[in-house]
Amino acid sequence: MSIVVRLEELELRPEDELAALLADSSGDGAIVSFVGVARPSSKDGHDIGRLTLERHPTLTRQSLEEIAVAAGQRFDVSHVRIVHRFGDIAPGEPIVFAAAAAAHRRAAFEAADCLMDRLKTEAVFWKRETGEAGSEWIEPTDTDYADRDRWG
Amino acid sequence: MKVLFYGRLADAIEPELELDNSVGCSVAELRDRLIVEHPGAGQSLRDKRARACVGDTLVDDSYRLSAGDTVEFLPPVSGG
Repeated sequence: MSIVVRLEELELRPEDELAALLADSSGDGAIVSFVGVARPSSKDGHDIGRLTLERHPTLTRQSLEEIAVAAGQRFDVSHVRIVHRFGDIAPGEPIVFAAAAAAHRRAAFEAADCLMDRLKTEAVFWKRETGEAGSEWIEPTDTDYADRDRWG
Repeated sequence: MKVLFYGRLADAIEPELELDNSVGCSVAELRDRLIVEHPGAGQSLRDKRARACVGDTLVDDSYRLSAGDTVEFLPPVSGG
């Protein structure tokens, strides 16, 4: 089982990450990938100029690695790949690429789903939306925590 | 003792404080002191999801601070 975890400040190209995972996972029958994208408007409907993700100097990477390794151990997958942006992100730009490869699809779907539920609530970033309505810190919702808790 | 803050807590307090007379205090006592000294951050500091961290390890509120510790307060985190 292989794990790739990376932090990127300037650019995340999901197509390159998927191509790399395809190359790594020859012999597998399934790849499931998720791309999170910065929204152009807030929950209140205000335009967002940028999303800023602050990171911790050590705990951020540690949290991503822990989430990736746990998914690799829990599900019958051969590869887990997480690439996460930090810094300033413009609307429409990718924030995260989270993917799993497996012999069969069910494990890959479940692993990718679990990865994202944990990333939303446990990845050590602090998110702030800045736009026409000012600047606001964004924290997980009760639904996000409930989604994470589905995995025990 | 050095105390570091992130996210909304860094906004409300400062990214970094140097506090005297905190060796031997528990994290809970440090929280209470910070709430008094920085009432604008009170709600965020009382949030049970705001965790304290010493030496890259999350610690409970009962953790007693030693000389040389650097305490970090992490408001709720969110990726993705």
